[in-house]
Amino acid sequence: MRAGFSIRTKLLMVALLLLLIPWMSYVYVRDMKTFLLSGQENALSLTSRAVATILHDRPELFTEDRVIRPDDSDDSEVYATPLSAYINLNGDLSDWGEQATQAVTYLPDNADSNLDDSIKNSISVDHIIGYRGNFIYAMFKVSDDSVVFRQRGFLRVDAADHIRLTLNAPDRPEQRYTLIARETGRMSIYLMDENWHYPITGEPNYDLAAELGLTDEGYNVELRIPRFMLSSETRVKLAVADVDDPESLKIEALVATTPRNDKDDLSRLLIKSPEIAKILKALDRSDARIWVFNTQKRPTAVVGSINSDDDYEQAVKPSPNDNVWSSLRYYYTYSLQTIFSYIIEQPTADIEDLNDSVQQRNDEIIERALAGEITTDHRPSLDKRSSILMSAHPIYLGDEIPGVVVVEQSTKQVLGKQKETLENVISVTLLVLVTVATALLLFASRLTLRIRRLRNATETAIDRDGRIVNQKLLAEAKSGDEIGDLSRSVSNMLERLSQYTNYLRGLPDTLAHEVSNPLNVVNSSLHNLSLEIPDSADSKYMERAKNGVNRIGSILRNLTEAANLEQAMQSETREAVDLIELIESYVDGYSFSNPEQAFEIEVYSRPLNVEIAPDYIAQALDKLVDNAIDFAAPGTAIVFKARRLNNFAQIDIINQGSHLPEGMAERIFEPLVSLGRKDAQKISLGMGLYIVKLIASFHGGDVLARNLLSSDGVIFSLSLPIYSAQTNE
Amino acid sequence: MARRVAIVEDDFDQRENYRDALQKSGYDVDTYKNRPDALKGMKEDMPDLAILDIMLENEMDGGFDLCRDLRALSPTLPIIFLTARDTDIDRVSGLRLDAWDYLTKPLNMQFLSVRINSLFRIVDSLGQPASEESHTMVIDDLEINEDSMSIRWKGQELSLTLTEFWLIESMARHPGHVKTYENMMQITRQSYVERNTINGYIRRIRNKFKEIDSSFKNIQTVFGVGYKWNTGD
Repeated sequence: MRAGFSIRTKLLMVALLLLLIPWMSYVYVRDMKTFLLSGQENALSLTSRAVATILHDRPELFTEDRVIRPDDSDDSEVYATPLSAYINLNGDLSDWGEQATQAVTYLPDNADSNLDDSIKNSISVDHIIGYRGNFIYAMFKVSDDSVVFRQRGFLRVDAADHIRLTLNAPDRPEQRYTLIARETGRMSIYLMDENWHYPITGEPNYDLAAELGLTDEGYNVELRIPRFMLSSETRVKLAVADVDDPESLKIEALVATTPRNDKDDLSRLLIKSPEIAKILKALDRSDARIWVFNTQKRPTAVVGSINSDDDYEQAVKPSPNDNVWSSLRYYYTYSLQTIFSYIIEQPTADIEDLNDSVQQRNDEIIERALAGEITTDHRPSLDKRSSILMSAHPIYLGDEIPGVVVVEQSTKQVLGKQKETLENVISVTLLVLVTVATALLLFASRLTLRIRRLRNATETAIDRDGRIVNQKLLAEAKSGDEIGDLSRSVSNMLERLSQYTNYLRGLPDTLAHEVSNPLNVVNSSLHNLSLEIPDSADSKYMERAKNGVNRIGSILRNLTEAANLEQAMQSETREAVDLIELIESYVDGYSFSNPEQAFEIEVYSRPLNVEIAPDYIAQALDKLVDNAIDFAAPGTAIVFKARRLNNFAQIDIINQGSHLPEGMAERIFEPLVSLGRKDAQKISLGMGLYIVKLIASFHGGDVLARNLLSSDGVIFSLSLPIYSAQTNE
Repeated sequence: MARRVAIVEDDFDQRENYRDALQKSGYDVDTYKNRPDALKGMKEDMPDLAILDIMLENEMDGGFDLCRDLRALSPTLPIIFLTARDTDIDRVSGLRLDAWDYLTKPLNMQFLSVRINSLFRIVDSLGQPASEESHTMVIDDLEINEDSMSIRWKGQELSLTLTEFWLIESMARHPGHVKTYENMMQITRQSYVERNTINGYIRRIRNKFKEIDSSFKNIQTVFGVGYKWNTGD
């Protein structure tokens, strides 16, 4: 068999083409992702436009911001942070949550008074302002070595620890409130006179509310201011007054928690627009976050979240109760997901990103939207693990742009879809691939097996000598497909070939038989002629004619000899003979009748017992010796060598002389193959060596011809199986 | 009165040549070209000897069938097959039908006359009482009666063809001397004889002896040369 890939390997390689399917899907899904993202961008853009449209031409929403111009920058500002929950006024700061940690610590101002260090160190205030809904909250966490409550019957409300709140609206007089407590719990709030000594009226203010709670270090105060008390132009001031000595009741220190500047101590309070937030609330989407920024690029409102609630399905580890199939599915899905995590961008379940309390954003798209451009962009999330799409749309107020709507959405949904699709395609393809490959493998194995069987049957149909042993192949003979056809064709071919070889084998015999009759006519006519015309009997032509007839007769005998021999050998009985003796007596006999021919015998093992029909072996030797003499160089001896090789007795008959032509060594034993002849009168039909072959095969032996390597000459080797008496007796 | 020979041969040329040759040798000759004619003719007028071809017109084994019919009519009629068929099977079949000889074409006409003569001699000797033993040759267990051309081995008669008789006789006449193939080819008095044919004769002869005496070993092969008759030593 020539080397090459087997059918099985080839089919498997073809099956590998199926791997193109996941690749194709990968490319497809990647394109789909781009498409989906652009769709998402469009949707976002539409959303931002819709939101912006709602906010168009509603000046009141932006009034609080409108006052603030870059040229008013000498105004101090206080920022209120959005709170995640309403504050329960109880002196307990735990509901401030994360915002409490952003509190800034304030100390008594050096410039304010020349207090000594001990007093200065006796008070510090952690303070922050936040808002939620319609309320502004302020938190004070005061460290104070001695907490002094307001004493009964004492009209002045500055003779205890208290907090001062100043509100300054442009169209109203300045309002001063003092928050003071007789005990822990609800504080009393009074509108104060200019000197902060006495309340203007005895009535406490109930719009404001504050609560005080004692702590180990001092006390906490939570203050709630309703939004209606504050317009966008209201300026505020907050300060904590510390009274340490219950006897003197003197204010030891005043700690301002709002910035102060040269002009006054009031600051603008900046809060995000609740109106806008209210409007946006209606647009709330679970998977998008809508921001409204003012011209300062500060968020005035934000709703929604970019973290959506839907969770991605995680394979559930199978419990022992589950059946094999679901465990199998789990492990299949699990291993696939592990692989996918390396190939595909994985959306994260939760994205860490800017929270609502961000003070200012400088994204380019806001800038561009403020310039009147509608833009979309994307940026990585803060944790850099996913990408966030942003779309900005300007809000118009006449020709002005007082703000910008920015809608943000994470791309994780698209990624999730992509991942899901790809996972499905790949897992299905892998299953298909495995199935198809297995099927192909089985198919190819079976095909190979069948072809191999057919090949073996074909090879054994003809034996080494080219004789047809089986005319009909049994392998695959009944199959309905092409292999079956092939088998039947081969059978058909063998049958025809066999008919043809039978015809060829019978041909010499038929020919001889047919020629015999006319030859007999010639022969008997010659005989009668010589009787009728006595003179002709002595004619040299009569002599030559008879000679010719004789030669034709010889040819006929020659032709029929092989066929007759085959028949005759069937009835021959064999006997055990020492081959060496046979050869020696044969050479003796041959030399006796042909004394001019020299022989040499070299015996390497003696005896060589074989079970043969001696007459036929002698006949074979005759043919071999005749052949050797025909081609021997004149005057050289024919050499016999006899030896035992394993279980065979081998006789080599060697003659010096020309080599066999190339390719002749194999063909020379076929019928009617002749090397030509030296003597024109000598018949050379090429049957002699064929007869040797027949005789050798009949005895279970073989005959081979080859050229001598060392010198010019040819060696014919006749081998016969060794006869061991033990096996037969 | 001249002896009458019947020739059954479908080939006109050969048939006429036989007739001419045999007539010149002094025989009366009847010729037939097919089996039914031959059977009909010979039934009416039985010849002294019949020469049959095996293939007769379209009958492949017409000669064998005819031989069987003739044998039924006359158990002692000498019958010779003269045919182009040269296989062992045909030879054995022919001789099994009690033919006296089996010859293959092409045949030398002189040899044919010699054979016919010899066969008539045998016929003659069979007709006479075996009183004279002067022409009997005895070599150990072998008795050769040259008049009846019959051979006995250890007292039992062998059923031999003429050719076989001649071969045994020639070997036994000079025991221990090798008869070469060339000698033996002459002795068969046939035109074209190969060594293989001689081997075949010897094989059949040995088998006939072995039917009588399974330990028969007196005919020895001299490889490459021929055969010789060994006396019992």
